[in-house]
Amino acid sequence: MTGGLFVQLLINGLMAGGIYALVSSGFTLILGVIKVFNFAQGQFYMLGAFITYGVVSILGLPYLLAILVALIAMVILGVIVHFAIIQWTLPSSFFHTMLVTVALGTIITQSALLSFGFKEQVIPAVVQGHATIGDITFSWGKLIVIAGAIVIMVTLYYFMKTKTGTAMLASSENREVASLQGINASRIFWVTMAVGCGLCGAAGALIAPVLSASSTMGTTIFNRSMLVVLVGGTGSMSGALVAAFLVGIVESFAYQYVGQLNLLVIFGFVAVLIFFRPGGLLGKPLPIPGQ
Amino acid sequence: MPKVIKIIALGVLVILLVALPRLINPYALQIVISTITYSMLGLGFAFTLKVGLPRFDIAAWWGVGAYTTALLMQKANMSFWLTLPIGGIISVLLGWLVFSIAIPRGMMVFLMFGMVLALAMQQLFGSVEFFGGWGGTDTLPQPTIGSFTFTHKPELYYMGLAFLILNLLVYYALYNSKIGRAWNSIGSSIKLASSLGVDVVKYRMANVLIGNFFLAIAGSYFVAYSLVAVPDTFGLANSVIVMMYVIVGGIAYNLSGPIVGALIITFVPQYLRLTKEYEPIITSVVTILLIVLLPMGILGILDRRTKPWFARMKWFKKNKDSEPKVPA
Repeated sequence: MTGGLFVQLLINGLMAGGIYALVSSGFTLILGVIKVFNFAQGQFYMLGAFITYGVVSILGLPYLLAILVALIAMVILGVIVHFAIIQWTLPSSFFHTMLVTVALGTIITQSALLSFGFKEQVIPAVVQGHATIGDITFSWGKLIVIAGAIVIMVTLYYFMKTKTGTAMLASSENREVASLQGINASRIFWVTMAVGCGLCGAAGALIAPVLSASSTMGTTIFNRSMLVVLVGGTGSMSGALVAAFLVGIVESFAYQYVGQLNLLVIFGFVAVLIFFRPGGLLGKPLPIPGQ
Repeated sequence: MPKVIKIIALGVLVILLVALPRLINPYALQIVISTITYSMLGLGFAFTLKVGLPRFDIAAWWGVGAYTTALLMQKANMSFWLTLPIGGIISVLLGWLVFSIAIPRGMMVFLMFGMVLALAMQQLFGSVEFFGGWGGTDTLPQPTIGSFTFTHKPELYYMGLAFLILNLLVYYALYNSKIGRAWNSIGSSIKLASSLGVDVVKYRMANVLIGNFFLAIAGSYFVAYSLVAVPDTFGLANSVIVMMYVIVGGIAYNLSGPIVGALIITFVPQYLRLTKEYEPIITSVVTILLIVLLPMGILGILDRRTKPWFARMKWFKKNKDSEPKVPA
């Protein structure tokens, strides 16, 4: 393999990994704190991409603004979904809430399909063109995605150290004891939904110039996120981070060799990993009921 | 309910079921046939849910049965009836191989593993040329017994009914046996069950594998009337929809819930005459409403223990900060 190809594949992998990290972190957060298996996670990502398309391509506003709009819109939507729907199904059971998110995801995906069809909505690249070092070409667009993802992950890291973030982690570990410490679980829930969905919106906004916005991108990213969360450990955010980049890179390189079958390769990789490290990559994940 | 009324009701049900092909038009009968298949899938989901494991690989094993029957009938000219146990056994063996990794790791891992499995299997069905690729298998011959061929809908309906009843009987017997009691204990509380000496992993594995067998049978039946196996059918989407049947029907009703749920979800959109584009949206909205207002499902209405929804909401407000009922 030439150096050029290797770098290309690596960049593709890192880009995918960055996006997976954002979406998976959001998913893991919601799963760990509220104990909700958010099937609609991918749909927030898709909406983020479509909002970006709307802001940039239709309204003609700058891309940075689009990212902000997508982020805020998804935060608001996440909170609305929490208060309108999830709040009511939580007492029923884990499965009821999960099914509700499935239904929600279907509504969003189907609405997108009806509005836009299967056609991809193209957004012009933020920075056109490529950089070249020697005979290796870097696509600026992809590098921006990676940079953006890193920026957001770092912000998330510091957010987790704030009082609210720590409260979220505490609730995730043991809700009863957390509430004994004065943590208001209900407030934590909607904040968690806000953060989890906001992350996805931002991810969608970041990837939009590279991948375009399509109605099915939500399901695709969700499927990949499952792999990431499996590998990283259900509930471990740092695990999700490492796993995301790992899965992204493996997927990228595997695609080069086996094309569509790379899903099976990743699956085999995941199976082997779970076999040897049941707790996910980084050891002890945050406890999730059902173990 | 007095026993006499129960017997009469059962009698009426039997007569209805036997006479059904005469009572409804062929189009409706076709929907009933599909519903039978979906009911069997739903039974499989509820079966494994009983031990606290939500499985999202239903369509994958359904596909294993379907493809086994399709390929063996086509390429090896095998009798349909022989492919049934073969499909079942393949499903069990493959399941044993794959789930040995997932089941010991707990519910969450099993859940996601199932989803990934569904995706991977669908990819497998589509990518391998021997299976016919993404276009699916060639049309297969119809099942026969001696010189009698199962061509018409009533014949296929009775065949399906037989499979469904077999499935129900076996599951009912299992639920009421020693193994069923072990499953109950696992479903209630893993810690308590294992402290009492129940080998959680072994019993869960047994449950999943038995489920696999009957899912494969459902797959074989499916191709008996659809006469072709296409990868698109056996993916994650159909696996997740099965959960909808179970919860809409009633999550507490392991045997009747999935059947009622399948009937409702399959028939109601037909009678509302929804356009193909809007149907998923309406179904999803209705599902959300059902789950929020009737968490015990449609069958839950019949249960006198169910409080009306407004009373429940008041109760909920009192307990807003309590932990949701997550199976242990």
